[in-house]
Amino acid sequence: MNPVAASNVPPTRRALTLRQVYVRWLITLAVACGAIIVFFPFFWMAVTSLKSAPEIQRVPLQIAPDHWFNFSNYVEVFKREPFLRYLLNSAIVASIAAVSSVVVSSLAGFGFAKYNFPGRDVFFLAIVGILMVPFQSVVVPLYVWMNELGLLDTYMGIVAPDLVSVFGVFLMRQAIEMIPNDYIDAARIDGASELKIFFLVILPSVKPAIATLLIIKFMWSWNEFFWPMVVISSPEMKVVTMGLMSFTNMYFIEYNLLTAAAVLSILPILLIFVTLQRWVVQAVVMSGLKG
Amino acid sequence: MRQWFRIAFPRTHLDRRKRAGFLFVLPALLFFGSVFILPLVQSVIYSFYKISPGGSREFVGLRLYEKVLTDTTFWTAVWNTVQLLLFSVPVTVVLALAVALGLNRITNLRWRNLWSSMYFLPFATSLVAAALIWQWIYDPVYGFLNYALSYVGIPPQRWLQSLDQVRPALAAIGVWVRIGFDTMIFLAALQSIPQEYYEAANMDGASAVQRLRYITLPLLNAQIIMVCILELIFNFKIFDQVYATTQGGPAGASQTIISLLYDTAFKYFRLGDASVMAVFVFVTLMAVTLLQWRIFRKPVVY
Amino acid sequence: MKRREWWMVVMLSAVMVAVTFPGASFAQQKKLVLWTHWDQNPEFNKWYAEKGKEFAKKSGYEVEVVTIPYQGYDAKYLAAFMAKNSAPDMFMGMTHHWCGQYDFCDKMPADLAKIYDDNLPKYMSEVGKWKGARYGIPIEHGNFQQMYINVDMFKKAGLDPDNPPKTMTDFLAAVKKLTIADAKGGDPTQVGFAIRSKGAPVGITDKFLPFAHAFGARMLSPDLDRATGYANSPQMVAALTYFGDLVNKDKVASLAFGNPEDAFGQKRAAIIFRESWFFGWLKKNAPDVNFKVYALPCEKACPGAGALFPWTDLVYKNSPNKQVAWEFMRFISNPKDDMEHHQIQGILPVWTANLESPYVKSRPDYQSTRDMLAQPVPPTYFHPKSNELATAFGEAVVGVLFGKGQPKQLLDEAAVKMDRILKD
Repeated sequence: MNPVAASNVPPTRRALTLRQVYVRWLITLAVACGAIIVFFPFFWMAVTSLKSAPEIQRVPLQIAPDHWFNFSNYVEVFKREPFLRYLLNSAIVASIAAVSSVVVSSLAGFGFAKYNFPGRDVFFLAIVGILMVPFQSVVVPLYVWMNELGLLDTYMGIVAPDLVSVFGVFLMRQAIEMIPNDYIDAARIDGASELKIFFLVILPSVKPAIATLLIIKFMWSWNEFFWPMVVISSPEMKVVTMGLMSFTNMYFIEYNLLTAAAVLSILPILLIFVTLQRWVVQAVVMSGLKG
Repeated sequence: MRQWFRIAFPRTHLDRRKRAGFLFVLPALLFFGSVFILPLVQSVIYSFYKISPGGSREFVGLRLYEKVLTDTTFWTAVWNTVQLLLFSVPVTVVLALAVALGLNRITNLRWRNLWSSMYFLPFATSLVAAALIWQWIYDPVYGFLNYALSYVGIPPQRWLQSLDQVRPALAAIGVWVRIGFDTMIFLAALQSIPQEYYEAANMDGASAVQRLRYITLPLLNAQIIMVCILELIFNFKIFDQVYATTQGGPAGASQTIISLLYDTAFKYFRLGDASVMAVFVFVTLMAVTLLQWRIFRKPVVY
Repeated sequence: MKRREWWMVVMLSAVMVAVTFPGASFAQQKKLVLWTHWDQNPEFNKWYAEKGKEFAKKSGYEVEVVTIPYQGYDAKYLAAFMAKNSAPDMFMGMTHHWCGQYDFCDKMPADLAKIYDDNLPKYMSEVGKWKGARYGIPIEHGNFQQMYINVDMFKKAGLDPDNPPKTMTDFLAAVKKLTIADAKGGDPTQVGFAIRSKGAPVGITDKFLPFAHAFGARMLSPDLDRATGYANSPQMVAALTYFGDLVNKDKVASLAFGNPEDAFGQKRAAIIFRESWFFGWLKKNAPDVNFKVYALPCEKACPGAGALFPWTDLVYKNSPNKQVAWEFMRFISNPKDDMEHHQIQGILPVWTANLESPYVKSRPDYQSTRDMLAQPVPPTYFHPKSNELATAFGEAVVGVLFGKGQPKQLLDEAAVKMDRILKD
């Protein structure tokens, strides 16, 4: 008796009044307009990456670049920095962070949501508390600690603070809490061990949350700047965000190169997001078809 | 204590189950502990020491606490941060909710994916890159915002250069980045609401607004609280946008707690003072979160 | 599900790749590591590595240059130095911070120190020194502001671009002529002076100091131990009043113009005070601006060649390779290398011997640099707490610009704050 996830619309059996059609159309328009406004800075970024530095400085403002296929900024980005290597490094780090987060967070989420052991709330609060500590105050001792562990300038070192996501624990706990206890009890009666329950009952029911967490954690880790900057010293280990920042300095910002690099750094994420989003949708639809 | 003994050496089914629960949580605890415990403790220890020129440290007890907590610059930064929060948290949550509700109504999956992707895209940029792009959009002379506003007859605004507009302007950058994230959470939750509830409400003749108030919002309660807490924590610690653009200016109008903390630690070389500020942030956030949790936690009756 | 399995494979392989990549432990080659955050000068930074290859032939050590983003470099440096064995052998930073506030620098060997004492321009002789001992090699000459004027705008306003204002009084008269007010009473369409009003207060202090020095004021006492009586002296109040009036009374500068560099490049401002790197930026971003460079105007005194942020190359005290590091420094400390090093980046060389070379003579700022170097050396503030002091001072300057208070009152407050910082 899985709930069929569908949109919040009145049943189609009833004929839709003109007003309802009008309202629905208005809502769609509002959503679309909002999306376009939110998307605009990207359009602006992409367009700017096709302009040369003097074009950008020009007043009054001109939206369109002089030459629409002017990729010289992109060429310059690759010439100045080994940007492909940065993309690879970021991909590796973000993948590890995302997978690790999902695994650990779903386990912890299950523990927090469906069990009642002593100290549960305290532990949960402790985990949420990690989020409340300003990273800047912890960075120096954390660096020293990483140094002792020999993890400086390594993938593990870059990923270390990111291996578990507090948000992930939150999200999974939320998602798992919504699973009716009857399912779990039924599985227990059937003799399944707790771990089996986790794999067979819990995980399949929270696929959308898992996909969400994967995407979000991947993106979050991809866009980390401060910690990677502190822990990385060799040019081959640099990540994409550091590559981006190399087009700024203490005096000025090279917007033409910065926007080109920013576009380059977003494209992979876009790809991953589009792919994973389809999986989210499939997962949702699949769970709807089951039972 | 006895409870722990029973967890370690379970006698009953219940004990065994409790142990299982603890074991599920253990990896997370271990991860966080092994990475963060030592640095956290170290950072708190710093707050009791003063670094003197030459690099040596001297123990000063609570003197730094007294110094920081009576400093007007610090409290100005706190007030700036609160002002930023009062703008960004409600705006983000309300907008994200509205967008999620709107998206939920769109039945055509392909369009819905397109729009939701566009809302989510800002999350794909790093805060620093977003801030730099927005700084340029906000530029009073050749930024796009004033250019667009000029078509509607609004004179050029100073945005990040203005004492009053700088905080909302900076907050808006954060809202832009995070709105897709919260929308996704709300949307996922909305899609798990069983259709039966709405059908039942429609049988009773409920209007759209009533459906929203009595079914949707209460069922989303957990997510709303979670998003509120996360947004509060995240915006209280706002740093990247500020540092990349205004660095606390103009005239300290955008100096937030964390940007002051960063300057104190790394530009003024006063790690002890910075650690005091960190303790302040932690205590404040913990208190506020506990309060939020206590007040807004309503059991949802199915 | 096929797709899920595929993704699992991708993730798993990523994990395997990460595991088999034990990090960046590659080079068996011995090397000296140099950290710098001068990312606007990539050619300059690369040169160290190039020279390092030559150096390796005699010593067996190459040089690896790591460019650190300017944003956040202080955190990274501090973390690395506190963790000791991950620190670089050589690094670029301010001597009075890393050697004064902390004790992270190695003292320069006496022979090398003498070479620099003999060959640096007068105003640079204190750069790289702390308490009389030399630790660092100055790498930037031309770190002081000069006056850039827009020739066309001067001509249009009836001013002679070859005869720029030489005193602050003349300067005010000139910028008044160069400002085109807005008929509707809004912000001017063109300002005489591109003023720096955004960003951290330290930067604002940096841009204001030439005015302060021109009026005969100084931010701290000569021993750098007191601010009251200096930061709020009558001369300083006069300087800040003049500065604030530019925006608030005479309206020849405007806070609505964003970056002063952009304003000058967009021909919205006729004059800007900027350092020697600026004409490189102009060539790239605003090549159609017809400009000339001159020495800053004087008043009671001359601003002279002063800088708040003198960058130097330093050697880490606890580096196991510090002897070799000093060897490398010796290797590149000669007029020829100094010339080559700075020329490939298009910046001014540091050695006095190179200041009359054909390369320098061909630069647009040649004459103005000579004029400014001929002026007496202005006050310097190489104090370990210079960031914090300059911030407190800058808050007063910014306060005046934004109309948050009167110069005397704000400077008095700043002086009290600065004294508290000094005593702490």
